[in-house]
Amino acid sequence: MKKIKIAIFAAVVMFGSMVSAQEPPTGAPVNLEKTPWLKGVELSPYPTDLTPTLPLSIYLENGEAVPATVTEDVPLVLVADTAIFDNDPPTHANDQEIPNPRWDASAAVSWYFIDWEKNQNFNASTTPGLAANQMVVIPTTPTGKGSVTCHMARRLRYDAPEPGRSKVSYANSSSGRDIKVLDITPPLCGLEISVEKGKSGSFWPVEYPPDKYPLPKTANVYFSGGLFDAVDKEVVVEALELGPNMIVAAAQVAVKVAPDAKLTIRVIGGDNYKLDNTKLKYGICNAAGGEPIPVGPINEETIDLATLDLPDNPHIFVDAADTTGNRQVLFVPLKFIK
Amino acid sequence: MKKFGVFLFVFAVFFSFAVVISAQDETTDPAAANDEAATEDTTTAEPVEIPSSVDMTLEMKPDKFVMPANFRGGDPDRGLVNAIEDVFYEQHEHSILYKEDAGEVAEGATFEGDPNITWDTKVKDADGNFQTVSSVNTNMAGNGGKFFAPGEYQIGNGGARQGDGGEGAEDVTTGNEDEDGEEAAGGDQTDEALVGENGETAEGGAKVVTANQAMGVLVHDVTPPDMWIAFQEGAGNIDMAATEQELKNKMVEKIVANLGRPFSQKADEFEDASYVFVDEGTNDERNLEPWKKTARLSVAGALFNDRGAPKFETKTVESKTLNEETATRQIHIAGGDNDALKGVFVRRNVPFIFAAMSVDNGNNRGNTAEVACRIETADGKEVEKDGKAYLFRVPNYPREDYKDQPEYFFVSKAMDKSGNLTTVRMPLHIVNIQAAFEGGRNQ
Repeated sequence: MKKIKIAIFAAVVMFGSMVSAQEPPTGAPVNLEKTPWLKGVELSPYPTDLTPTLPLSIYLENGEAVPATVTEDVPLVLVADTAIFDNDPPTHANDQEIPNPRWDASAAVSWYFIDWEKNQNFNASTTPGLAANQMVVIPTTPTGKGSVTCHMARRLRYDAPEPGRSKVSYANSSSGRDIKVLDITPPLCGLEISVEKGKSGSFWPVEYPPDKYPLPKTANVYFSGGLFDAVDKEVVVEALELGPNMIVAAAQVAVKVAPDAKLTIRVIGGDNYKLDNTKLKYGICNAAGGEPIPVGPINEETIDLATLDLPDNPHIFVDAADTTGNRQVLFVPLKFIK
Repeated sequence: MKKFGVFLFVFAVFFSFAVVISAQDETTDPAAANDEAATEDTTTAEPVEIPSSVDMTLEMKPDKFVMPANFRGGDPDRGLVNAIEDVFYEQHEHSILYKEDAGEVAEGATFEGDPNITWDTKVKDADGNFQTVSSVNTNMAGNGGKFFAPGEYQIGNGGARQGDGGEGAEDVTTGNEDEDGEEAAGGDQTDEALVGENGETAEGGAKVVTANQAMGVLVHDVTPPDMWIAFQEGAGNIDMAATEQELKNKMVEKIVANLGRPFSQKADEFEDASYVFVDEGTNDERNLEPWKKTARLSVAGALFNDRGAPKFETKTVESKTLNEETATRQIHIAGGDNDALKGVFVRRNVPFIFAAMSVDNGNNRGNTAEVACRIETADGKEVEKDGKAYLFRVPNYPREDYKDQPEYFFVSKAMDKSGNLTTVRMPLHIVNIQAAFEGGRNQ
């Protein structure tokens, strides 16, 4: 008899241990140093409601797969395929039957483009006239690691255990596709120029209109400072084609200095993704357009014009390329005053 | 036999400990499980299947302003969180996607980095569709904010994280740093080359895993409606009924266009009619917490002082709780000798009309409602029009000179659908002035 009691006790201990070990670890402490995003969260990650998660697949409008690499500023029409738009709601949630389920509202849909390199996302654009499961996604940020995600939720009503009562939960459906976004925007570099014992000024291009597609991209070049007779204002040269042949005409604006002036030059601006610093060049060149023909030192912070054998048509140039190979060369005329 | 029983007992206890330890390894220490799996992966290099999406939980944090399920007589089974406008609420959400390790997403998987978390607030439009009000990429699983307008909202949380199943990612060039600029992928593009380069699809070791959950919130109105009251005198052959309709039309147009705010603050622009404006106030006065809510009272025109001098004056008025249980509020404008609004001053023997309109933030001040208003005696008896306009032949102001004459009051009451009230009760003085008021229209 005693033997039987011992055996029963041992069996109970064993069974209890197995059951407790199989329960989900809801009470596990959160390490906020490693998961700072959980600060203030006092909720279990395991749903207790009947809240089904439905599969969702994303593909192109023409039914093809989303490409692994897409191009900056080129719109994609994406389609989400999910049962959340079906007439009949799901009947099960995590293997549990949902009693008499019925839809209680329209589906709410959100699309994002995530740049994982910055861990930042952007809303996808909405174009009226598209079906609820479609979205125009314009990846405006080049990245080597990105995703397009789609999240949908639809309110679901089902019968509560009490007769005549009902409960509400949400059917959810989400998915993502990993993509890389190719940079097609040339750098937007300008120069800041100071004349020793004289005026200073700066010029810089701004992509305008932003995110323009189809190519070519265009930019406005802004000039500011006393060197350009633009104190407390900006002189704008509009609509230059953004690329390797950006020429500012002398009639528009010029760097006007004495022939023996000493210039201090600094590059400003950058690229919308990654500037290739090894290819960055600036200085004075002969004429404008094509490959710059340097006159004097390249990438020198200080240029003493008195030491140069200056050509008839000198320009200040900045030549920049990004790591994708997009190139910008901007020429600004250099005029001499007495 | 006894020894065998002891042996059986000891064996059973050891066995149960072994089960506990092994089960704990599986459930409470997924990191260790991952390490093991990862070790295994390095030797076998078998990819782990990572799901596209996982479950999420989401709820409003308990708060005294989370109203009961049957708040304001609502259906307790409606399934929406009852909230009130202009109060700070906190929400939190959780998912296995936000855990330190990816063991529960897929055994042997790892996370590549932090999750990307976005809080979406959508409002239900008249067609039953949800329109985005805000979308905030906080990368935090807790969130807080206010609802600045009544309505039905859906708070959604979208989470994404990159999981790694151990398989090597494809080397698809985004910006190949080794290539010359002219030859690199983006250096010399043609339209044909731009989209879907090589037709490759996004399959690789790293894979985005998503989760989302939603919560419905019914935000209740606790702001009393805005109210405009206009008084206009007439004389001679003016058709007062037509004038009254014209006045109402003008108010309908302007109260919506100005979102309840006075259409002008220049006294000389109120020559046609005098106005009382009661509205939620300037931008910094709007959307205050219920217990701090004020209204801005503005009076404009010639009928608000006994001299008939045109003026524009404005001040704030505090609100009060109308009903604690339903959280409704009231703005009451009481005019009188000791108040900023002394009353309305009309001339004897000069017919006048008035009209009142209201707009409410419950529908974004999108349409108007005509407000019940009347003139009554001190005992609450309504004074009728004399034909198509109001007309008083005997003055009653100053009161000390006309103690035998009845006191009159102008009263109006605007109530929104939620029961918030804006009320006005101010004296109506009949002054004995035969000279025309400055700026009066029908002189």
